[in-house]
Amino acid sequence: MFDTTKMGISAVALCAALAGAAFAEGDAIKIGYVTGLSGACSSLSEDGLNGSKLAVDELNAKGGILGREIELIVRDSQTKPDEGGKQARELVASEDVDVLTGVCSSAVLLAVQAVAAEANVPHYAVIGSTQKANVEAFRPNFWQIQANATMEAYAAAEFVAKNADWKRIQPMGYDYEWGHTSVESFAERLKELRPDIEISNPIFIKLGDNNMGPYVAPALSTKPDAIYAAIFGGGLVNLIKQGQGFGLFQRSNLVTLLTVDALQSMGDAMPKERLFGIARAPFFALEKDAAFESFIDSYRTAYDEYPTDWAINGYDGMMIYAAAVEAAGSTETDALMPEVYGGTFDGLRGKGLTVRAFDGQMDAPAYVGAINFDPAFPFPTMKDVEVFAGGPLMWSEEKIQTLRDAAR
Amino acid sequence: MIWVQLVNGLMEGMMLFLIASGLTLIFGVSRIVNFAHGSLYMLGAFFTYGLVPLIAPGTIAGFFAAVLLAGIGVALVGLIFEIVALRRVYGSADLMQLIITVALVLVIRDVVRWIWGPNSLSVPMPDALMGALIIGDNFFPIFPFVIFGAGLVVMLVMVVVIRFTRAGILLRAGTDDRGMAALLGINEKLIFTTVFATGALLAGIAGGLAAPYGDVNYLLDTTVIVTAFIVVVIGGLGNLFGAFAAAMLVGITKAMGILYFPRLSMVLIFLIMAAVLLARSLGRQGGPSR
Repeated sequence: MFDTTKMGISAVALCAALAGAAFAEGDAIKIGYVTGLSGACSSLSEDGLNGSKLAVDELNAKGGILGREIELIVRDSQTKPDEGGKQARELVASEDVDVLTGVCSSAVLLAVQAVAAEANVPHYAVIGSTQKANVEAFRPNFWQIQANATMEAYAAAEFVAKNADWKRIQPMGYDYEWGHTSVESFAERLKELRPDIEISNPIFIKLGDNNMGPYVAPALSTKPDAIYAAIFGGGLVNLIKQGQGFGLFQRSNLVTLLTVDALQSMGDAMPKERLFGIARAPFFALEKDAAFESFIDSYRTAYDEYPTDWAINGYDGMMIYAAAVEAAGSTETDALMPEVYGGTFDGLRGKGLTVRAFDGQMDAPAYVGAINFDPAFPFPTMKDVEVFAGGPLMWSEEKIQTLRDAAR
Repeated sequence: MIWVQLVNGLMEGMMLFLIASGLTLIFGVSRIVNFAHGSLYMLGAFFTYGLVPLIAPGTIAGFFAAVLLAGIGVALVGLIFEIVALRRVYGSADLMQLIITVALVLVIRDVVRWIWGPNSLSVPMPDALMGALIIGDNFFPIFPFVIFGAGLVVMLVMVVVIRFTRAGILLRAGTDDRGMAALLGINEKLIFTTVFATGALLAGIAGGLAAPYGDVNYLLDTTVIVTAFIVVVIGGLGNLFGAFAAAMLVGITKAMGILYFPRLSMVLIFLIMAAVLLARSLGRQGGPSR
């Protein structure tokens, strides 16, 4: 079957490729970027990648990190844990990457973290936010730059608790690990803050179900003052759109996740009031200093759109990594991690952010605001955005230890 | 409350029927299990997204015209696919059909993603159909009622065509006994092509009708196909009226399940399917001859 000419050509090509790699060796800092460019995560992943790319370009324009060029090596996890794990392993083994990042889905995040922990390669999360990466799956090679799932649910509970006239709350969530964790954490924190509030039995929505009517009607039948919904993406769009036919926004309020991509995709179908959103990095509510303005300008020039939360976190994540490497003077895990866990970082989402060594969680803020129609933007945004500092939302080290012991 | 949930169930049932009817029609005549049916449905939604702003936006007539045109567009895609690819595999191994229809799934998905991008899109509802009918304490969304009505119209047209026209007679002949129909000089090729295009039309119309009610994205294909297959199996492969009954049963079971047994609503549907399969394996539709 094999033809010698072909083999000869491939051998030459292979040598050329290896020679190219050898030239770059020790020179470039390699970022292994595993993200779900296809599959359920594709739109979030693309935004995250855009933000990361912009950061890499800016860093390279300033001479890279430690004078070394940054090379972004992107792999598609297809939003599948086994594929993501495989890609991560390949990046570690044959590309010898200095850091892994980019993962979107929680399941893929855990798969990539397993590979990174085994190979002792630094790994940071920019989109995926399962708290498992901070608890059971945590190894001191990992950090999470955004509020994780439980912190976000706590922020929602804090926000709901402040509305004194809300007496009955109906929780809803996607029927898988994240939805259940979010609903449980939300209910737990809300009970602490407001023992007088009645929390109805949660309703769980089948993942991928497009018809929200059969869930909305039972949710409204408990006559809640507000519904907390731990869902996102298409399901969220459907809930908001279809909910209006059931009078959701006349009969109740909705508190849910509203990242910029969700705000953009709703268009005219967005209700005018009684909708409150939790966000990770809403560009319209961030502090507008010089660094921010220049980021917005270059992002809009590069991609002709406003950055979503995912793009901002991709950008921030890369900048935090760069700062830690600069401080450590090295990309080696043993030198880098003390800088990650000991440093303070300034980013688009605030200044002086720190990462807790116990679980790799950054005290990143969570944002909650009310729906708003600002003529300055071609899509709805949020007003009266409250910033919940990350620190008080984080689980205590004792609680995490208990959970880790239980998981063992 | 129960009434609202019943309406929810009927609405979902009608959507399921519109998708499943094309699937079962195609299977009944050509014995092709069309895995690409969900993709045709998705294509209908995207075509509608493209057409709605062009034809009297915001009006009811404009919306239905867009849906109809989208359906015809999808029928054309189906027609071309049948002539170019599917025609060559009738009667050959099932695996061949599987490969060729799954290939269409992948092609459509990539083309859709390439043209419209990976983000969810939103098709605006006609202004008059937004909002709710308020009866007593209950809010009934208007749009699902209209979808249900539109579905009934489509069904009525189907029944009239199948019962009372020559095309319908040929269709029934083809479903009953393909060999005999061919022996009597009926152009089999034409029937197969027409049936596939009609199935695609139904899928396209279903996708278009559902588009304003949910989000439109390139993953819609797999979201609908599984439930559609369940409906077709419960109703009996190739059996149109069975598909209607099964679609209503599945829609209502799911809606009521969420109300009374929230953790079991999907399980209930699979239980029904299992029960039907067990019973039917001895009955008329499930015998080895089929």
